[in-house]
Amino acid sequence: MPRVFITGLGFVTSIGNDAPSVTRNLRDLRHGLEVYPPFDKPDIPVKVIGTIKEFTTDSTDPEDWTYPAGYRIKRELLRTMAPSGLFAHCAMLQAIADAKLADSDISNSETGLYAASGGSPFLLNYHHNRLHKLGVLRCSPLGIVASISGTLNFNLVAAFKIQGASCGFSSACASSAHALGYGFDDLVLGRQKRMFIVGAEDGNLDAILPFAGMRTLSLQTDPNLASRPFDAARDGFVGTGGGVVLVLETEDEVARRGVTPYAEVLGWGQASDGHNVAISHPEGSGSAAAMTLALRAARVAPEQVDYVNAHATSTLIGDVSEARALRSVFKSGLGRIAVSSTKALTGHGLSLAGAMESAFSAVAIREGFIPGNPHLRQPDPECADLNLPRTTENRAPGIVIKNSSGFGGANVALVFKRVA
Amino acid sequence: MPDAVQTSPGAGKPPLPSTLKPFSPEDEGTLREALKRCSPSTFEAAIQYRKTGNAEHVPAVVIGVIERFVEPDLRIKLKDADDDLRLIEDLGIDSLTMMEIVILVEEVLQLSINNDELRNLRTVGDVKTFIDCKIRGLALPKPTKFIPIETIGAIMPIQPPFLFLNEASVSSTAANGKYKISGQEFFLQGHFKDNPVMPASIMLEALGQLAVLYLLEGAPTETGKVVSPQTIFFTGCEGVRAHRVCKPGDILTLSIKPKRMKMPLATFEGAIRVGPEKAVIVEEITLTYAFVDAVNPPVSINVNGSAHAEPAVPSPSAAPTPLRAAINA
Repeated sequence: MPRVFITGLGFVTSIGNDAPSVTRNLRDLRHGLEVYPPFDKPDIPVKVIGTIKEFTTDSTDPEDWTYPAGYRIKRELLRTMAPSGLFAHCAMLQAIADAKLADSDISNSETGLYAASGGSPFLLNYHHNRLHKLGVLRCSPLGIVASISGTLNFNLVAAFKIQGASCGFSSACASSAHALGYGFDDLVLGRQKRMFIVGAEDGNLDAILPFAGMRTLSLQTDPNLASRPFDAARDGFVGTGGGVVLVLETEDEVARRGVTPYAEVLGWGQASDGHNVAISHPEGSGSAAAMTLALRAARVAPEQVDYVNAHATSTLIGDVSEARALRSVFKSGLGRIAVSSTKALTGHGLSLAGAMESAFSAVAIREGFIPGNPHLRQPDPECADLNLPRTTENRAPGIVIKNSSGFGGANVALVFKRVA
Repeated sequence: MPDAVQTSPGAGKPPLPSTLKPFSPEDEGTLREALKRCSPSTFEAAIQYRKTGNAEHVPAVVIGVIERFVEPDLRIKLKDADDDLRLIEDLGIDSLTMMEIVILVEEVLQLSINNDELRNLRTVGDVKTFIDCKIRGLALPKPTKFIPIETIGAIMPIQPPFLFLNEASVSSTAANGKYKISGQEFFLQGHFKDNPVMPASIMLEALGQLAVLYLLEGAPTETGKVVSPQTIFFTGCEGVRAHRVCKPGDILTLSIKPKRMKMPLATFEGAIRVGPEKAVIVEEITLTYAFVDAVNPPVSINVNGSAHAEPAVPSPSAAPTPLRAAINA
């Protein structure tokens, strides 16, 4: 069975639009949350999101968008993108450069791309309004590919001339973790030699505000207090968007190309709560089962784990549920394992979260630190026995678990290992 | 080729400006927004058309809209484009961009275009003619056919090594072709010694061959009749001037236009260019031709036992058309 490594990363996130910025902000625990102007209305109770800097994508016409000067994107590519597509495209270019991939490494039958996004409610809404108002024949022929949930894979596969496996994943906030897991499987099974794993979200009003209807968003107006996973005073999650790409490669490709990986992917597991359409299982049964299966697949004992990058989104039920899952998996060893949720810094990226936080984990492994929980003042009593470092620990985690959970009680756990 | 355009839904409608709607300041605002990425002259032409209904302004609108959707580095081609500039091959416009162009043209000129009508729009000239006929309520001309080398060979009575057309396009009003002088032509061994130059007589022959292709594929015929390839012969030419020596590697761009057609004589004017340079001009080149009765296409039986009609010649319409490509999405 070939071993699988993470060899390239690309970031457009609320805490930075390149690997050096992201690394610095992760280590220094500087968040990317801000009061979001479109929420500045009396009837919108939510005020803060994790904002994407240096990009403006608030127009429904992609030719109005602006993005950092280093990128040059042709109209023919831009016209079919949602904001998430632009973020992912830029992250893809970074990941390709980071992994030092040649064109021939990207476009061949053994290189695939798995992507996850919630689509673009923003553009879907715009195009549907046009359809109802002006009639179907006045609708853009490109509205569908720009806005439905597969928009990321449609666009990226065409733009980068991907010839291997391609697919979109749709398990809400577990989506891009699923994409990474199945991408890993394709490499292990010998179907592919290299996989791009992409997560992205628009992270704008239309993508985030509907969650306010579920009463799951934080109503905090202070960006420094809005996202507080595991804290007793947490009051919901803070939304964010962006795009993150990971390059996964088999050991043969790593050796052939002579690149230094960030980390090894040891394995993964998934399990479902079978409980509620939107609420986590109170005991975290699915999450616990996913972690147990992931450790078994990775041939790692629970006591070997150094760090868990938690799914914890700062919601009342979800964080406790995950704490219970961790307790049931690690038992007496729980206090030894550092746990943090980097959503305190970025906000919750929904479909993007799994890929983004896997990439953060890879950075932490290679750079040799464990990001802390900066906004934690008073831990929820239900979470108090977790080892929740407040500040960054300057030690390299050897084995890391990345948890992700989504609607319908879908749970994914991924296991990463430091490359000695 | 699909002939759906022959029966234009616009036919029978009264010509503009009797159908013209009054043009309000609101309309002007909407028009300005719709054309915000087009040149100011495009907007001006659109305003003029919408106010007066004068079809003279339409080509400027159509070219302006096409220009807006062409990648900036290719726009130069549109500056002094002739009507043979091809949308896909020369301007890089794909079928989806074609749809974007159509939707904007529809919005700006206030007309509706059927999907069927889009299939045959392959050149800038096709688009201009199409829109012009559409707003005047005229029947549409026969669309330009693009004929690749294999098909040329199947149509023509003339065959290699004496066939001097690599590709051609034929409409009811003209034919255009290309021929690359490979250097392997047998006569270049002797014409001239150690100095291969394309003979002017052969260049004249190439123009004649393009005229033959026009007679077989583009010329209007009587119902139930076709031009017989066996009846076409050269009769004469007038006003032939050679302007440029053509050598291996040169790509000859050939064009002919019918001047007079009266059985049994068809007279054309013709020209050959290499890039922007004139190579040969012929004021008149005349061929004889005759009609024969059209025969029904032979019916072949395939191994599954189902019968289907074989076209008499391989149909260039099998090439992906913009609409078909879009539907594949």
